[in-house]
Amino acid sequence: MSCISVNALSKSYGSFKVLDSISFDVDYGKVFGFLGPNGAGKTTTIKILTTLIKPTEGNAKILGYDLLKDEQKIRSRIGIVQQKISLENNLSVLKSLELYGMLWNVQKRIREEKIEEVLDVFGLREIKNSKTEELSIGQRRRLQVAREFIHDMDLLFLDEPTVGMDPNARRILLDYIKKKVSDGLTVFFTTHIMEEAEYLCDEIAIINKGRIVTIDSPQSLRKRYGSIKMVELRLKEPFDRNVLNYDGIEIDNNIVRIVSDNAEEMLAEIVRRLHDNGIYIESLHVDSPTLEEIFLSIIDERYEKGN
Amino acid sequence: MKKVIRLVKRNFIATIDTAFLIWQIFFPLLYLFIAGYAYASIIEGVELADKKIEYPAFIASGIIGLNIMNSSVTAGSMIWNDKRTGMFEQILMLPFTRMDYVMSNIITIIIIGIISAGIVIFASIPTVFNGIEISLSSIQFLLLAILLGSIFFGSIAIIASIKFKSNEGFQTMLNTTFIFFAFVSTTFYPAEGAPEPLSIAFHINPLTYVVNIIRAGLFNSIYDFLYIEIIILTIISIITFTVATRLLVRLNV
Repeated sequence: MSCISVNALSKSYGSFKVLDSISFDVDYGKVFGFLGPNGAGKTTTIKILTTLIKPTEGNAKILGYDLLKDEQKIRSRIGIVQQKISLENNLSVLKSLELYGMLWNVQKRIREEKIEEVLDVFGLREIKNSKTEELSIGQRRRLQVAREFIHDMDLLFLDEPTVGMDPNARRILLDYIKKKVSDGLTVFFTTHIMEEAEYLCDEIAIINKGRIVTIDSPQSLRKRYGSIKMVELRLKEPFDRNVLNYDGIEIDNNIVRIVSDNAEEMLAEIVRRLHDNGIYIESLHVDSPTLEEIFLSIIDERYEKGN
Repeated sequence: MKKVIRLVKRNFIATIDTAFLIWQIFFPLLYLFIAGYAYASIIEGVELADKKIEYPAFIASGIIGLNIMNSSVTAGSMIWNDKRTGMFEQILMLPFTRMDYVMSNIITIIIIGIISAGIVIFASIPTVFNGIEISLSSIQFLLLAILLGSIFFGSIAIIASIKFKSNEGFQTMLNTTFIFFAFVSTTFYPAEGAPEPLSIAFHINPLTYVVNIIRAGLFNSIYDFLYIEIIILTIISIITFTVATRLLVRLNV
């Protein structure tokens, strides 16, 4: 049984369809990345899966519970970090953490232990007596994420949690999430930052205009969409350019660059030509596309098809 | 119920502005001792059922009702604050229902109303309320008035906080409406002797019923129409509470 099982979920506001029959499954103890451009439907999906709003059509099972019938059971076992900051302005960091733990009915002793832990993990100890309204965006974001780890949960929804965080804080958060996942936590994670998705996620869904475009592991996405993008050959000495008279290559003295969608086939052909002409290769560098480039190409491809 | 209590606790810790709370509780005392005694020199006494009470006692009991109404603004402000800070959505993603949230707001203003009424009565017994006897009956009437008044005015404030798109609009609407409620009621003046249109207006004003129930309890002045006032206040409180809850349940987040 999946931790999250979404079946033909749709959400419309009037005639505007925000989500269009999306379906996917998330296994227990995995990090599921939900990627998409602005307005793709990521936050709406999270709002539905956390029972904040109801879908227009379709249903889902969260932790085995029916999304439409077992709202309270679902909420009692999930955590959520919203995209927008949600903190009480007039409280100190410490008071804010205590209050959040109290709302979750975490026993005082456990609450205190957890607070001590997150103060250290998220670098909040030095500012624990500062009022939340006095904090920087990054500090507020850290607090917002930290408080979610005070209570126990089986599933955590993170809606672009690293926005406003510096790279160090971002890495600390991602590593902490990894640690929690290794302890059994399941994470539903949206982000714009592909490096984060690649670093953290076991599986990635790309959503665009309310539809899921593809679902796969980061590695498989690379295999499926990431044919070699650029190959750079450094030759032992300058050579006659007429030897390599092909479209899609650039020559700069003894450096040859293949920039083409079918770089793999071209490479084989060029190596053969160089060998036939007694030209030796000093080094070879293959530049694979990043997940971000794959993401952009998928989104562009679908956009072009849609138009 | 434990969940509602946790939300009430949160309201007192995080949502309610402390300065506002202090002002809300001590404002009636200020009004009571300045205005009450000043007016006492021009208004001798007030007929209440078969009794005659001194004006400071009349206005003190009225101010308890007035303060219940004013405290209810807190219910709307709490929703506004929570919407502004993003905590409204956050709480609704926690294991709380929207009904829990509404109930916590109503209970919060009931508590403020009880504390406020208690302070007014406690501070006034040696002077203003000289001679009254606090009995089980008077406490029952007082609590009933606080309960119904808080539900009615709290629900009005919740409806306003949902319907108005800006905090300024919400505050202005509520303040002007509540001023009307305050001055077209028996809070400051008795209905008897007032011009007929004003007297009629007094009697279609829920604050009048709240104040009358408080006075009936404090001065043991039960009259026939009182129970009809209680029934009317109960019905309109249920209606406004139902409307407020439904609006909040349907509120888009």
